[in-house]
Amino acid sequence: MPHAYFFFRRLVLLTFLLSPLAALGGIIVNSDVEAQRISIASLRNIYTLRQTLWPNRQPIVVFVLPDDHPVNVAFAKEKLGLYPYRLRQTWDRMSFSGMASAPIQVKDENEMRARVRATPGAIGYTSKDMVYDGIKTLRLE
Amino acid sequence: MTASRRSGWNSLLLSGLLAASPAWADELAGPRYQIQGFAAQGLIGSTHNNFFGDSRDGVSTRFTEAGLHGSWQALDAVRLSGQILYRQAGESDQDGLRADYAQADWQFYQTEASQLGLKFGKVKLPYGLYNETRDVPFTRSGILLPQSVYVDNSRDLLLAAPGAFLHGASVQPYGAFDFLLGWVRPDFDSPSVEYSFLGNIRPGTLKGQGALGARLRWDLPTDTTLMLTHADARADYSPGIGDTLTAGKVRFRNLLLTAQQRFDTVTLTAEYGEPRFDNTGFGPYFPSSHRTIQAGYLQGEWRFLPAWELMLRHDFFYRDKRDKNGHLFALTTGLPAHSMFARDTTLGLRWDTTPNLMLRAEFHHVDGTGWLPGPDNPVFIDREQRWNMWLLQAAYRF
Repeated sequence: MPHAYFFFRRLVLLTFLLSPLAALGGIIVNSDVEAQRISIASLRNIYTLRQTLWPNRQPIVVFVLPDDHPVNVAFAKEKLGLYPYRLRQTWDRMSFSGMASAPIQVKDENEMRARVRATPGAIGYTSKDMVYDGIKTLRLE
Repeated sequence: MTASRRSGWNSLLLSGLLAASPAWADELAGPRYQIQGFAAQGLIGSTHNNFFGDSRDGVSTRFTEAGLHGSWQALDAVRLSGQILYRQAGESDQDGLRADYAQADWQFYQTEASQLGLKFGKVKLPYGLYNETRDVPFTRSGILLPQSVYVDNSRDLLLAAPGAFLHGASVQPYGAFDFLLGWVRPDFDSPSVEYSFLGNIRPGTLKGQGALGARLRWDLPTDTTLMLTHADARADYSPGIGDTLTAGKVRFRNLLLTAQQRFDTVTLTAEYGEPRFDNTGFGPYFPSSHRTIQAGYLQGEWRFLPAWELMLRHDFFYRDKRDKNGHLFALTTGLPAHSMFARDTTLGLRWDTTPNLMLRAEFHHVDGTGWLPGPDNPVFIDREQRWNMWLLQAAYRF
């Protein structure tokens, strides 16, 4: 069983290496978020709606790009280790049953930056690792 | 007449939805409310038996689902949510538009890694993997859910009910835990539920008493999900005029086990339970009975391309664990033995054409009529043991 598991993990890794979208930029948050870095586990918990508060108990507002947006596909696979369709399944299960609100979907990266800049507690992602006014980039560890 | 009035309602509802859905787009900050919905239409064809309309040797179009879901974060710790549902499924479900659920969720304890809350109102009932979102086509593993565990015949009982649930979630290094524990008053007062508990539509009414529901879910770091669901529901029968039954009691108990393992693009799922049905005190014309059902399925899903998924499932249902092949039942009642079981092998294909549109095709080969919808197949002896069914469904979301 563990062999099969690692075999599949290797397959996933291989897909990443062959993917042309391998260069993915940063995790961005609203400037009022206190954190400077974020763990992969924590990022995954936020995007699977399990972690709803920042360490200082400020509510997290989660932003996403459309399921088939290349930047979303790359983010889901590389940063979260999940396929976009699995994320969508989790969001649908949680939101339609009334247990959580689904992440807020924006149409492109410009809107992503604008909404993250304007929303207290917001988290999102972009394709370029750049510094933007009023947005903080978190270091992933 | 009724149908046209209903569809009028439906288009009104849908136009309202379409107008409302981009509402939070002009609001740059985090929205306090969300609206989402879906609409789906199915086509069904079958051999020998009907499923959701006149599907035998023809095509039934009478499988329609549409829903409007809203949630509002009224306070940081309080969220209100609800769903309006339109559903038509052949003769078995002709209720059309209905309020599915409406609940308030008060999260009175929240930390970074844990939450504790109380939800109350008309709440969604936890039952296995799929029940809470069983009417949202995108969340199901097929056009139909495995009928053994998620019997559409008794769906009213499992959907939502007035009551309250205490719930909690915690993320730990060895996985994430969720639990739900609550008390509800389930809805037994529907023809299909009466049919499955009392074998027929009776002049009296079945009234749900208290029911206990509990579910424990553990998501391990190995991409494994393990789940236990417990349900214990009771109902009292009030005889009608000229009734042959006396004031009896029914009870339903189940412990449902769920296991799911996710490997890269493959998902393996199994659920199994032995629901117990007890009928007592209905007088000489309906002897007391205690039977244990056996119900379960094994299912594999393979996402072979980003937008394409193949599903293979084997589903089994035995109405009486001690009389699996129905011989005893046939001997004592003179009715066909095949109504006591059903084994369904299903092959399904899903194509997520766009993020908003999903197309599905599905083929079922069924041995037995154990969960065949009664209202679509009113003549008992016309039902045939071996039958096939194909389904197509288009589902849109916004």
